[in-house]
Amino acid sequence: MKTFQLDIVTPTKVISEGQVEYLRAPSTDGLFGVEAGHAPAVIALGIGEIKVMRGTEIIYYSTSGGYADIRQEEVMILAETIEQAKEIDVTRAEQAIQTAKDLLGKDQLDHIPVKNAMERAKNRIQVSRRTELN
Amino acid sequence: MANLKEIRDRIKSIKSIQQVTKAMKMVAAAKLRRAQQSMEQARPYTHHLNGLITSLLPEVDRSDLDLLEIREVKRVAYVVITSDRGLAGSFNTNIIKKAQNEIDVIGKDKVDLFCIGKKGRDHFRKREYNIAEQHIEFWNDLDFCHASNIGSGIIGQFLTGRVDEIRVVYNYFKSIASQEIKTATLLPLLYDENNTKRIDRIYEPSKTELVKSLIPKHLNVQIWQFLLESYASEMAARMVSMDSATNNADDLIKDLKLEFNKARQASITKEMLEIVGGAEALS
Repeated sequence: MKTFQLDIVTPTKVISEGQVEYLRAPSTDGLFGVEAGHAPAVIALGIGEIKVMRGTEIIYYSTSGGYADIRQEEVMILAETIEQAKEIDVTRAEQAIQTAKDLLGKDQLDHIPVKNAMERAKNRIQVSRRTELN
Repeated sequence: MANLKEIRDRIKSIKSIQQVTKAMKMVAAAKLRRAQQSMEQARPYTHHLNGLITSLLPEVDRSDLDLLEIREVKRVAYVVITSDRGLAGSFNTNIIKKAQNEIDVIGKDKVDLFCIGKKGRDHFRKREYNIAEQHIEFWNDLDFCHASNIGSGIIGQFLTGRVDEIRVVYNYFKSIASQEIKTATLLPLLYDENNTKRIDRIYEPSKTELVKSLIPKHLNVQIWQFLLESYASEMAARMVSMDSATNNADDLIKDLKLEFNKARQASITKEMLEIVGGAEALS
C-alpha cells in the first residue's frame, strides 16, 4: 500500500509519524479519511479522535481541534493539543467534567466555553479507552 | 589609609553580595535552559500556522472579515512586554525607552497600552499613560492560556473599533549574549496582495470560515511566541548581568585585599619603628 508523510505539530511538540498508510481525523462536521494521493486540501478539525495506521500499528490520539494541511505527498496536522491514547490522564478529565457540571448548574455564566470544556474532557476519556481494546 | 577593620568588613559584605549574584546567575541559567527549550519547541507550530494563514489570506476578500479591515489609523494599541523583576541589566530600561519613544511620536493620548510585566506597568502608570490592560506576575507559570487571554483582550479592542492598529514591542531572543528589541504589527494583518500564486485545493469549511477561525489562533500563537522570546531574553539578560556582577565583585575583593595587606604592612612597620625607637631611647 502507498504511504504518505505525516507530521503532527503542536505548540509544545512535534510528532513525526513518518510514512503512514491511513489517517482518520475529525473535521468540524464529521470524520474524514486520508490515504496517499489525496487531493490537496485544508480542513478544520473539531474535537475528536485521530487514528493513524502505520504498517500493522494503529495509533489513537485525542485532539481539541486544529487544522489538517493535506499536500501532494505529505499531511501536516496543526493542533493546539494532542494526546496519545495511553498518555491521557483519565482522572484529570473526569475532574474537568465534574467542574464543568458544577459550573453549568449556575445559570448566570456563559455556557458555551463550559460546554466545550466538557466535550473535550469527554472526548479524552473516550479516546483513552482505545488502549484497553488493543 | 582606611583602618583594617573597615576594610575587612567591606570585603565581608562584598563576599555575601557575590554569593547572592552567583545564586541568581545559577537560577537564571537553569530557567533560561527551560525557557529556551519551550521557545524552540513552539517555533515550528508558529511557523507552520503562519505559512498556512499567508497561503490562505490572498484567497479571501478583506471586506468579508472584520479582523482583516484596514482603517485609517487614529488610535494605536501598544503591547509592551517587560519582566516582573529587575536585576536583569538593561533589559527593561531599553524596552521601556523604545516603547516610550514610539508612543510619544504618535502622541500619548492616542495610544492604549497593554502592559505585560510589572516593570513596564509601573513605569507607564507613574507617567500617566492610558493603560488599557495589565498582565503581571504570571511569568513563573507561563502558560498558553495567558497568551490567549491577552490575545482576546487585544482583538476585542480592535473589533470594537477603539484602536485601528496593534503593535507589540518585545525582546527578540537572538542568542544568550544578545537580545534585540523589535516592534511588530499584529493587526491589521498585512500580506502581499499581489501574490497571485493560487493553489487549487479543497477547503472545508469555506475559505472565509477557515480564515475567520485561523486569525484569532494565529494572533494568540504569535503573542505566545513573543512571550516565550521575551521570557528567554529576560533570563539570558539576567544571567549575563549577574555573571558580570559576580566578576566585578571578584575584582573588588582583589583590590580590597591588596589595600588590606598594604594597611596591615604599614601598621606592622609602624609598630616596629615604635619598638625600635623605644629601645633606642632606653639604651
